[in-house]
Amino acid sequence: MPTVIACFKWVIDEAYIRRNPAGDLDFSSVDYKIGEYDRNAIEEAARLKEAVGGKAIAVTVGMPEATKGVKDALSRGTDEAYFIADTSFGNLDSSQTSFILAEVIRTKIQQYDIILCGEGSSDLYAQQVGPRLAEHLGIPCISFVQKLSVSKDQLVAERRVEEGIEVVTAPLPSLVTVLPDINVPRIPGVKDTLMAGKKPIVKITKDDLPPVSEPMLRTISLTASSMERSCERFGIDAAEIARFVGSLRKKGVIA
Amino acid sequence: MDFKFTEEQELIRKNVREFCVKNVEPIAVEIDENSRHPAELFEKLSDGGWMGIPIPLEYGGAGADFLTGIIVVEELSRSCASTGFTISTHAGIVCTMILLFGTEEQKKNYLTPMAEGKHLGAFALTEPGAGTDVMALTTAAVLEGNDYVINGTKTFTSNGPTAGTYLVFAWTDKSAGRKGMSTFIVPREAPGFRVGEHFKKMGLRSSQTSELIFKDCRVPKNNLLGKEGAGLPMAMAGFDGGRIGIAAQCIGILQAALDESIRYSKERIQFGSPIARNQAIAWMIADMATDLSAARFLAYHAAWLKDQKLPFSKEAAMAKLYASEAAMRHTVKAVQIHGGYGYCKGAKVERLMRDAKITEIYEGTSEAMRMVISGTVLR
Repeated sequence: MPTVIACFKWVIDEAYIRRNPAGDLDFSSVDYKIGEYDRNAIEEAARLKEAVGGKAIAVTVGMPEATKGVKDALSRGTDEAYFIADTSFGNLDSSQTSFILAEVIRTKIQQYDIILCGEGSSDLYAQQVGPRLAEHLGIPCISFVQKLSVSKDQLVAERRVEEGIEVVTAPLPSLVTVLPDINVPRIPGVKDTLMAGKKPIVKITKDDLPPVSEPMLRTISLTASSMERSCERFGIDAAEIARFVGSLRKKGVIA
Repeated sequence: MDFKFTEEQELIRKNVREFCVKNVEPIAVEIDENSRHPAELFEKLSDGGWMGIPIPLEYGGAGADFLTGIIVVEELSRSCASTGFTISTHAGIVCTMILLFGTEEQKKNYLTPMAEGKHLGAFALTEPGAGTDVMALTTAAVLEGNDYVINGTKTFTSNGPTAGTYLVFAWTDKSAGRKGMSTFIVPREAPGFRVGEHFKKMGLRSSQTSELIFKDCRVPKNNLLGKEGAGLPMAMAGFDGGRIGIAAQCIGILQAALDESIRYSKERIQFGSPIARNQAIAWMIADMATDLSAARFLAYHAAWLKDQKLPFSKEAAMAKLYASEAAMRHTVKAVQIHGGYGYCKGAKVERLMRDAKITEIYEGTSEAMRMVISGTVLR
């Protein structure tokens, strides 16, 4: 019976991000949520476990305040959680996150058959953690998966690729990154939420890990996107198109 | 002093909201229009364990505190006040009363299936001649051998047509006055019981309301809830909890009115700019948001007192009075902000305004609330 690990990120719920009058992003009253695709990963882990038995484990790396996220993951059908937290883990990049996850999975969890990740996180959507994690662990990585089944010693995955659908098999253990089409995440019931906090949570701190390298990405600035309308209308004949191009040139949009 | 919800309560609120957006919002207009009880929705609510939130696990509930139940009623009511109210009456009054006063056998036979959501409960006190004046009740129960025989008519019973279990109030000894009323658990299949006329209502239309008719209706002696003569204080205890539920329903209505008013006033352009930029509109929204906050604090405080097992009767009445009058006042304003569009069927604010009115009437009118509050503070 397989042990399935679902990795998730506790991210800012974009619905709460405001723009202040100066046009900057205002994060002062934000709430957090499990990343959208990560919810699919957790759901798939729970479904696999419910279908064939075994164990579903949720793993996250983040800030110590993310306890609500751990409970959220546990309320969605996972059996236990590994909560890797430190005050310095607020803005990890994909290389650091995948390194930490690999370390914990290799040394603390040890036995596993499938690792599920969302295709990308809801905030940065770098799509890096899954493939990097598989590389660290030396296991196959199957990305863009919209359907998954598991037999005794292999998994069968449907990948949505540009030209169509690719069906692949992979030995266990393997890592799978999932698309939102793979399932519809459950809405936890009251009891699921109330019982979540009673499930085992393994807490891991920075001191339990080898030194984490410097980030490979540096955020220089973060600005709110803006859409300003100039309220100019153009027709579709040649003269109008020329006028349109002229207007773009004048504004410096094209050279 | 701590104004923070637990992580569980915050997650539950988000989950109910998601449930509502997915399952309640899409049908809310239709069930209002057709006065339809959405059985399929209640099946989903049962599956999620939303039907017996404050009831302990051993009796089929979710084992949460009362405040959590209030959060759920609030969020349900934000999408559909009828649905929020149906759950509030069912869990907050009927289930809670059997939990408080029932025997082990009654809890097993009646509370557990209700908390699991197998069927709804209804609270049957009001009669054609006995509204706020509870002592004017005429329904009576007489012990005959091992059965009580009940005769009388109840009216305006919420969940009347849809319930499986009824809490019925009747005189067992009218000469004993306030100590002469008793409470009975009447299953729907009891001989001599039938559901009478269904009422067509201005608002809260998908919540089903009817007369209940008891003609030599027989229930076993064991269906007496608590002791003979203890009915009136029990009804009052049921009302106290129920009133916090109504306050929660009003908060949901108010939140929805605010959501709709903010959205519309930012979109609607008149004289070249969104109407939200007009002080007349902005101030209506400011007052709405302020009263919503005030109503929340009153209701949460009352629920917190109940959870701490402290007296909360006055606070529940205050929460219900304030929240219901605020809901009525501001849903009228929300329609005003929407102008002609708000007066048309299909506009959410139109439904909210109709739904708000009943909250000033049932489970004790605003006037009765002022009697309760003044009776306490002038004592």
